[in-house]
This record gives sequence, C-alpha cells and structure tokens, in this order.
Amino acid sequence: MTKEKEINLSPIKEMELRASRIPGVVSLAQGVPSFDTPEPVKRAAVEAIERGKVAKYSLAPGTLEFREAIAQNLEKENKFFDFENEIVATAGSIEAITATLLTILEPGDEVLIPDPSYTSYQPAIRVARGMPVFVPLDEEKRWALNIEKFEKLITPRTKAFLFCNPNNPTGTIFTRNQLHALAQLAIKHNLYILSDEVYKDFVYLDEGSTFGAPKVEPSLYSLAELRGIRDRLIYIFSFSKAYAMTGWRIAFLATHQELAGKILAVHDALVTCAPVVSQFAALAALEMAEEDVAGFKEYFRKRRDLICKRLDKLNRVFSYQKPDSAYFVFPRIKEEVLRKIAGSGGSWKFALELLEKAKVAVVPGVAFGPSGENHIRMCFGRSEKDINLAFDRLEKFFEL
Amino acid sequence: MKSFFKKFVQYYLKILTKVALWRHRPFIVAVAGSTNKTTTKDYILKFLREKYGEKSVRGNPKSYNTEIGLPLAILYLESGESSALKWLKVLVQAKIRALFERKFPSKLVLELGVEEKGNMEYLLGVVGPNIAVVTNIEGSYTYPNSDLEQIFEEMKVLAERLPENGYLLLNADDERVRSLAKNTKAKVITYGFREEADAKAENLKTDAQGQTFDFSFQGKEESVRIKKYGRHFISAWMAAKVVKNIL
Repeated sequence: MTKEKEINLSPIKEMELRASRIPGVVSLAQGVPSFDTPEPVKRAAVEAIERGKVAKYSLAPGTLEFREAIAQNLEKENKFFDFENEIVATAGSIEAITATLLTILEPGDEVLIPDPSYTSYQPAIRVARGMPVFVPLDEEKRWALNIEKFEKLITPRTKAFLFCNPNNPTGTIFTRNQLHALAQLAIKHNLYILSDEVYKDFVYLDEGSTFGAPKVEPSLYSLAELRGIRDRLIYIFSFSKAYAMTGWRIAFLATHQELAGKILAVHDALVTCAPVVSQFAALAALEMAEEDVAGFKEYFRKRRDLICKRLDKLNRVFSYQKPDSAYFVFPRIKEEVLRKIAGSGGSWKFALELLEKAKVAVVPGVAFGPSGENHIRMCFGRSEKDINLAFDRLEKFFEL
Repeated sequence: MKSFFKKFVQYYLKILTKVALWRHRPFIVAVAGSTNKTTTKDYILKFLREKYGEKSVRGNPKSYNTEIGLPLAILYLESGESSALKWLKVLVQAKIRALFERKFPSKLVLELGVEEKGNMEYLLGVVGPNIAVVTNIEGSYTYPNSDLEQIFEEMKVLAERLPENGYLLLNADDERVRSLAKNTKAKVITYGFREEADAKAENLKTDAQGQTFDFSFQGKEESVRIKKYGRHFISAWMAAKVVKNIL
C-alpha cells in the first residue's frame, strides 16, 4: 500500500491513546459528551434484554418499529422517507458512510470533502479505494463553503460530496443558499451528496444569527428537505452525540429506495445488522429523550460560553471564532507562539507539547485537513470542571 | 416497589377511563397492527376532523397505545415518565377529567399496541371499538417468528369482539390480516393493492414530489397525490378514506 493510500488510526484516537498513557491528563480531544445515556433509554434497553428481544439478528435494515419511529421523527423535520425501503439502521454513522462509499465508488474515484472536516472521512474514503479531495473552507467567512472552489475541483473521477453539517471541527452551519448551490452542482455533475448531520441538535441560535434561515426555524436547514435531489442525497444521523450514546454504536442513513437497496447489501456484508439492543435503546431515545437532548444542549451552550471566555483570556496565544453549533471550538494558534512552542512541527507538534508539558489533550488542526494547520480542536462536550482545569493548565503553560 | 406503583397507576387509570367512556359513550375507531398504526390513525383523524370538526374527534397524542398509554390517550393526559411526582399529578388530573369533564369528543381514534399474549384482552377491557383497522402483522427478525402467530392470535381477539353492527377494516395485502375476515361477525371491508380488495389503489407512480395513485371504493373513483414516499402511506390513506365513508 502506498503512503498516500495508507490507512492510519485517526489522529483523534491516537491523541486519546497517548493521553491515556500520561497520568493526570485532562482531555478536550475526542468528541465524547460528558453525560451518561438518558435513563429512559437505558431502561428500554434493559427491558428489551429481559424480554428476550435482542439476542437474535434483526432484519438487515433494522427493526420495523425503529425504522418507523425514525421516519416519523424525520417527518417532523420536513424530511420524507419510506421507512420500509429507504432507511437503514447502521453501526454508527461511520458505518453508514463507509457502506455508502463502498456502494457508490469505483477504485480511484474522488470524493470532495470540506477542509477542515471530520478526520475519519479520509480513511473511510480510502477504505472504499477512493481518493479524498480537500476543498478549503473560507476561514475569513466563518469557515463558509466556497462553491466556486468546489466546482473547480470537480473532475471526471469525482463521485460525491461528503460533509457534516454543522461542521466538525469548526462548528459552522452551512447556509441554505450554500447548500442549494452545492445541490445544483451535484445535479449538474451527476454526483452524490452524503450529508452527515450528527450535530444537528446542538445549534445555538444567538441573537442576530439566522444562518440564512428564518429565525423561527427550530433546526438547521438540511438538504434532505429538498425533494429534487432525493435520488442522490444520503442523509446520515447518529445517536452518539445527541443522546450521549457513543458506545452504543447506533445511527441510520436515509436515501432513495434504489440506492438504499444497494447500500443495504454492503451493510449486510459488513455487519449483518446494527446491534439490536442499541436499536431498542435508540427507539426509546426518539420516543422519550427529547427533554434530555434539550438539557444537553443548554449545558453545551454554557460550556461554549465558558470555553470562549477562557480563550479570550489567552488572546495572545489564540484567535478563534465563536462556534454556532456542535461542541468544538477551533482556535488558530498565533504564529509567533506556534513557532516558539512547536518550531516547524506545526499543530501536531504543538498538540504534543500541550499534552506532554501542560497535560492537556487537544487534537491538532492538521488532522482535519491542510487548512486546519495552525489550529487545534478543543471539545466543550467535556465537563465544566475539565474545561476549567485544562485552561488553568494552559494559562500556566503559556506564562512560561 | 416500582412495579407495584406501575400496577397501581395502570389499574387506577383503567377504572377512571372506563368511567369517562361510560359517561360520554364516544364512537371508537381502533387501529391495530405491527406497524403503520400512527400514520393510519393520523389520516383517520385528519379525515374525520375535516368532516366533523376539530373538537369532535380525539386521537392518541404521540403514540400512547399500551396498558398505560391508552388511558392517557383517552383522557388526553401526558405521561409522567419516570417521575413519581408527575405521575401523582397525572392521577389527580385523570380523576378530574373522568368524573367532571363535560366536553368530551364524540369520536375517538385510538391505536392499540400489542406485543404479547393478553395485551389485546386487557386493552379491550378498557375500550370497546365500533370500528377496527388492522394494518399488518409483520416481524422485525430474520428467523421464522412465533411472535407473529401470537400477534395474529391477539388480532383474532380484536376481530371476535367487534359488534355485529361494527366494521373490521383489513389490509388486503397482508395474508395473515386478510384471513381475520372469518373471525368476526362485524362487516368486513378490505383495502389495498390486491385486485379483490373492496377499496383499491392502482396505477401507483412515484416521483420527486411523492406518489400518485387511482383509488376506487363503492363504485367511486378518484386520483390521489400524497406528498410522501412508501406504500404504507397509501394503505393508511385508504383505510382512513374508508372510515370516513362509512361513518
């Protein structure tokens, strides 16, 4: 395998592994919510186990009840899918993404991904023998999509756009107009769109911020609402973040039935079906955990404000944009500080220095794509105590 | 203790619900089956509200359809979830509504959720439907499923209990459901895509805007567009249309 095609452990996980070997490290690295799974969800899982419902395979796309509940919830968000033929429960969103890419890509096909974007997209594309192509986001425009740059990078080998909205690591919400322009490009060049909306429930609609949509709109705009592209759109949602269920490995994809059928065959080959106990838990999450999600969101909003306040105090080290959503902040390291601490080692070396000397784990920005260089990602999904402890250490470290 | 409290809540709500139903004697449409209950109920509610007015028809909020959910649906109360305090409040409200509420809808559209043997018997101990719709009997597992036969037995109980002047609406596209026709003294109307269905959909077409089909029932025909995807929406629509026509 050539260096270019090599698949390595995600830098996020590598950073967590390194952190685990150093006693007393406080981690703002991996995007794991600090909360436990909501009680009604755990109870439903226990009940399903006790009633003997989870020991055997479910249908490959998932239980009927789960898929029906998913479709009903999507309908509330103006997204319409046939639960019998167009929804597949998956083992986490990364399985949904990988199964989709394995279905639609031929070896050597290219997939456009925003730069910076979630680190695991690159290996998922490589697993499917495709090539990730980075499309730089406009940092000066709050990391907006630049449609012209997207179009310029389309080649005859381009097969799909893959992005998450809200974006990880920048916390950007892509606007309705940007997304529509992307959809038009997809139609024009006959491309698929994979829209990963794992952070859709954590949108902080501050005063004056409308993301191109009316203020009354309860959630962000999704291309899954656009009927004209339903034959090329794959909507992906994971329960990991919204319901604090990262360990349950449960998510789903929704797409036009013809494509769903093809993806289902790959999904079947990969995992047979999503974990059945997790399907029951996620069903309960949809039916009973709405208030918990709202509660998590309020905590994250407070933690975002806290982490921004702490970053303000370190303004000689970092500049940053207040995130509109998700639970990450992606500060830029000031050049002189970066040089002083990491020499020519960039954000990777900088993050290692923070880990080893300040005992604070963060993710180097370069892990998210070339435009992420000179940045680090900090997760405010962690507890206030962890955030404060991490910043106390950082303040002390940067005093040196 | 939790189990005792649950039993108490269940029993208390059942009694109060029976009192409310005895006082107001509404016409009851029940929707049962493995899936598609909520969509079918929602279409029936929509059509009946168009015909009789918003306040005359009540349905399950969310999908309350079990031993505790059904009484909550009839009394129009929210679940107390995992809070004992909330449940105490629910019980007080239930008592007030059952004993003193004057305005009660003349028609109820209720989902009956059945998972195990005896569930239907219990639910029919709370409500006596005039019309029952059976959507389907389907399984979620890949192996031959004895649960389906059990659910079929439960649906038989529903079919048998319908009164002679009642109606049993059966999804003609589901073989098990279709066979329930021989277990009832109520009038049977089948709906579906099958040629022999009483209420029939044909010429189904799907496009980006949804689905279109031709619907025929009792000699009348109409072309219908549904802005949603999946045959189950059409089945639900047909069941609701039949309910509207016979009421």
